[in-house]
Amino acid sequence: MTALGLAGAVVQPVLIVAGAPVLVGVMRQVRARLEGRAGPGIRQPWRDLRKLFGKERIAPRGTSEVFRVAPLVLVATTLVITVVAPFVTVASVLNPVADLFVVVALLAVGAVALALAGLDTGTAFGGMGASREVTILALVEPTLLVAILALSARVGSTNLGDVVSSMVREPSRVISPVSLLAAVALVIATVAENGRIPVDNPSTHLELTMVHEAMVLEYAGPDLALVELASAMRLSVFLGLLANLFVPWGIATTATPAALLAGVLALVLKVGVLGAALAAAEVFLAKLRLFRVPELLAGSFLLSLLAVAASYFLA
Amino acid sequence: MTETVYVQLLDLTCGALLLTAVLILWRRDLSVIVRVFALQGAALTALVAVLAAHERSGELWVIAAGVLALRAGLLPYLLRRTLAAAGEPQREARPLVNVAASLLAAAVLTFLAHAVSRPLVTLAPSPAAQAIPIAVTVVLIGFFVLVTRRHAVSQVVGFLLMDNGITALGLLTTTGVGLVVEVGVSLDVLLAVLVLQILAVRIRETFGDTDLDDLRELRD
Amino acid sequence: MNPAQVTFGAAVALALATAVAAIVVPRRVVVGAGTALTGAAGLAAGVAAVSGHSFSLVLPGLLPLSGVSFTLDALGGLFVAVTGGVAVAAGVYATSYGKASAVLPMFVLAMLLVPAAASVGTLLVCWELMALFSLLLVIGENRSRAEVTSAGRWYAVMTHLGFVSILCGLMVFAAHAPADSFAALREARLSPAVSATVFVLTLAGFASKAGIVPLHAWLPRAHPEAPSHVSALMSAAMVNLGVYGLVRVGFDLLGGGPRWWWLLVLALGALSAVHGILQAAMSTDLKRLLGQSTTENMGLVLVGVGAAGLFTASGNPVLAGLATAAALLHVVNHAAFKTLLFLAAGAVLHGTGTRDLDALGGLRRTMPVTTALFGVGALAASALPPGTAFVSEWLLLQALVHGLPPSGVDTAIALPVAVAAVALTAGLAVVTFVKAFGVGFLAKPRSEAAANAREVPYGMRAGMAIAALGCVVLALLPSLVLPAVAGGATTGLVTLRLTGVTGSLSPLLLTLWLVVAVVVVAAGVRGVVARRTRRDARLWDCGGGPMSARMEYTATSFAEPLQRVFDDVVQPELDVHVTHHEESRYLVRAVEFRRSVPDRVERRLYAPVLAATRAWGRAGRSLATGSVHRYLGYGFYTLCAALLLLAVTR
Repeated sequence: MTALGLAGAVVQPVLIVAGAPVLVGVMRQVRARLEGRAGPGIRQPWRDLRKLFGKERIAPRGTSEVFRVAPLVLVATTLVITVVAPFVTVASVLNPVADLFVVVALLAVGAVALALAGLDTGTAFGGMGASREVTILALVEPTLLVAILALSARVGSTNLGDVVSSMVREPSRVISPVSLLAAVALVIATVAENGRIPVDNPSTHLELTMVHEAMVLEYAGPDLALVELASAMRLSVFLGLLANLFVPWGIATTATPAALLAGVLALVLKVGVLGAALAAAEVFLAKLRLFRVPELLAGSFLLSLLAVAASYFLA
Repeated sequence: MTETVYVQLLDLTCGALLLTAVLILWRRDLSVIVRVFALQGAALTALVAVLAAHERSGELWVIAAGVLALRAGLLPYLLRRTLAAAGEPQREARPLVNVAASLLAAAVLTFLAHAVSRPLVTLAPSPAAQAIPIAVTVVLIGFFVLVTRRHAVSQVVGFLLMDNGITALGLLTTTGVGLVVEVGVSLDVLLAVLVLQILAVRIRETFGDTDLDDLRELRD
Repeated sequence: MNPAQVTFGAAVALALATAVAAIVVPRRVVVGAGTALTGAAGLAAGVAAVSGHSFSLVLPGLLPLSGVSFTLDALGGLFVAVTGGVAVAAGVYATSYGKASAVLPMFVLAMLLVPAAASVGTLLVCWELMALFSLLLVIGENRSRAEVTSAGRWYAVMTHLGFVSILCGLMVFAAHAPADSFAALREARLSPAVSATVFVLTLAGFASKAGIVPLHAWLPRAHPEAPSHVSALMSAAMVNLGVYGLVRVGFDLLGGGPRWWWLLVLALGALSAVHGILQAAMSTDLKRLLGQSTTENMGLVLVGVGAAGLFTASGNPVLAGLATAAALLHVVNHAAFKTLLFLAAGAVLHGTGTRDLDALGGLRRTMPVTTALFGVGALAASALPPGTAFVSEWLLLQALVHGLPPSGVDTAIALPVAVAAVALTAGLAVVTFVKAFGVGFLAKPRSEAAANAREVPYGMRAGMAIAALGCVVLALLPSLVLPAVAGGATTGLVTLRLTGVTGSLSPLLLTLWLVVAVVVVAAGVRGVVARRTRRDARLWDCGGGPMSARMEYTATSFAEPLQRVFDDVVQPELDVHVTHHEESRYLVRAVEFRRSVPDRVERRLYAPVLAATRAWGRAGRSLATGSVHRYLGYGFYTLCAALLLLAVTR
């Protein structure tokens, strides 16, 4: 447990919890401007959260503890990732948990908790959302793990800190075919896991197309606030990991205040740019039919396999 | 050009070649497929140019110019015209093998290509030889498109994809097949496409569609 | 006397005593307690053997020709311990479940003897006893039901075909060795062709016991139809012995082999894993789903075994050790969670009388203990942290990831495909167990039976609790059993560190941090919100009045998107039947929808074989006319023909 790791464990969660809703605000604002609307401003998600936290807590009839605990688990898994994974600092306070497989599995735990909550309500919407969410989750898993294989096979470790610091040491790896193919595959996986267009539309409330929104339909007040906060955090976590896995520059490798500040600024910049690019791309894309999503995911799986082939055969 | 820059550029152009081949498999919209095919022509040109700059060979620069003109210019133009003549935007609606399965098949083909071209790579382990499997993959994907797509235009694209792969393979193995051979092959391909185009137009005029499966009815 | 010998002897004595006692006093308590004690003694013997107290025992007079010999070494000890552990939970459970049967302790005994057998003859005898006792247990309780007799027939035929395959393989092996003891077999020098024959024959037999595709057809039939504690014993302990046989013959007796053996094992494992879990994800029968998940988990174990063989063949003992550790740890983990899940499924069956997920639901109110325990098992089975299977799958993935860089072309192709298969399996396992738990236990009850469910008696709860305890301990401190399976592939108690390659994982700290994070978030929310009490509210029903259980998602509808995605792979049979009103064809009276997902491998592979057998049977009927003279004549002519053949060839 190094000073750098400790600094990261304090700075990263604070930064991501505070910044995630702002990121969502930025993305909505970019989208609004590109569509020719004024937009509500980037602080709107925080205002929404404040309002939701001030409301009364609701217990929908027939729901159990699973429904009540799920938002907590969702936030907690994401929070653990923000503490241990390399976002601002390379070192981790808990190295044995900062593993790529563990991070992927923790994100899945959050999704599963929400899916169970959706089923727990016993409504048609809840079941529908849960069913679709876990289907997409199952199909994304091969892409994620094979892309991880491509990235970690050359480093010889699946530890996130090791992967990122090897990228920092050898910048020539950044524009290799392996990185590019794996990056495209992981971007598609990120889009699918976070329910963004073209896999799911976060702003839809049309029954036929809802995935994430259908699962959380019964949540209200503070519980809904937690779910919203967690989805924003998951998006930031995914984008932050993408940024640091492929463009690790600026991440703090020493525990000096200047390095930490540079790390924070670099993360904010990278995630902001990625988020804005994602939002801009969403303006030009239409949501896919649910049964076209496997095609997209098969494509991203192919790309990740090609990345593995390239990592072995072009080495 | 230093060696590392050469290797990186080579890898990147080969990667682009492969990526465009995959995209042709992935997309259904025929106009997009033709556009991606033009992009692949550009990637092939870049590959030849990289080789030319590395070998400092004038002949290769001429080939690069020829590839650019034919594969990124003329052939896509002809294909686009065929599409435009058909009127409404066309799609590869129901390929014989669905898109997800095609993509998985492409993964298998990639591994197959790597496995079979291993002896070639070990024969002369140069950076150019390292990229041979990618060229073989493009040939195989082209063949796969030819086999599984219904629409005449996408079949032509599959055929051209194979040809792109073969050109890349020739350039990578021998670093230049000779200008005369390249010109001959290119003319052949051009002729083939012109004939196919005329055929496609005739088929459409007769049957109102260019779905090649309908041709089966001609047999009886 | 060493402790392993004493406890193993105690296990044998206890099992025999229980069987006798069960015939005299047929009470559930007697059988259950006796089985549990047998299991405990077996567990102790296994632990002792694993920690270095191996023993050998030769009883020359017990069987003609070869005699009986037993050796309990570390490898066998592991499987004895696992079987013992499962038997403890199943025995305690059986004190208040099922019929009192003298066969139960004998089945446990046979399973304990198989890993201890030290000669071909002994192994075959114990193997056959195990098969017979389990068959008796499968058909014992509900023999009048058609499904049970059909399952029994399938099981009997397939298990014996597997036995014949093992018998042929080991006989060929023993024919090339000085004697039939394992020590003699180890010394035998076989030509590549002979050793390949031995390996393929034994692989077929052991794989059919482990339920590996394409020899799995009996498993989803027999395991669900047996009484639940027997299902647990079969699915958590007996299938492991297939893996044991493979490891014993492949690595120990044949001493590894060429790469293609292990590529074959790897491919079979990956295929089984994906096929098994895909079938399970579509299944709506709770116990059938668990049986199919057994095929999946044995497939994952075989991926590990295959990878270990591959690494051994390419001279990489570090990774081979890691892959072996992953495979064996998964055997232990699977035993723990599959016991728990089958026992909980038995509790559901006991409490509601049905195992159809579409008819269950809402059990969390009526059966809270069973629900919680099934939840623990489902978490473990879905390979998510902090569950047990996550640790072993993590180890497996580490072995595969580190195997990529220095390998040959075949490995470079096999390993990414294996990683993809493991990943897809993990994802589908999540779907399967979210379905089993979410649809089966949460939500509203979908039938009268589910609504009137009763919690099960204490004995059954205790059995489940023991298995759950095993799951929790294995999930948090896998380092307690890792030294037994890994042989130094990992070090550390709280944090597992891989030796030889980089990689570390700490399940305990991970769980601790998760708990802390949940507490922090909960405390934070309590601090922020204005009012703490929750107000009861209506569910959102689109303004259409209260929602009924008929509007819920069922297991069938839950799996529907997945079934459509894998439409070309599983090829489900859909049947939509619309009935109209008599007055007008335009008014629909009822729509009947039926979907079944038949096992495609089975349909393609078994149906032609069965049809051919049937045709042969019909053709053969003309030979049997009923004349005794003719039958005697057949024997006489065959004898003469055999003698003639002998005379000509000699």
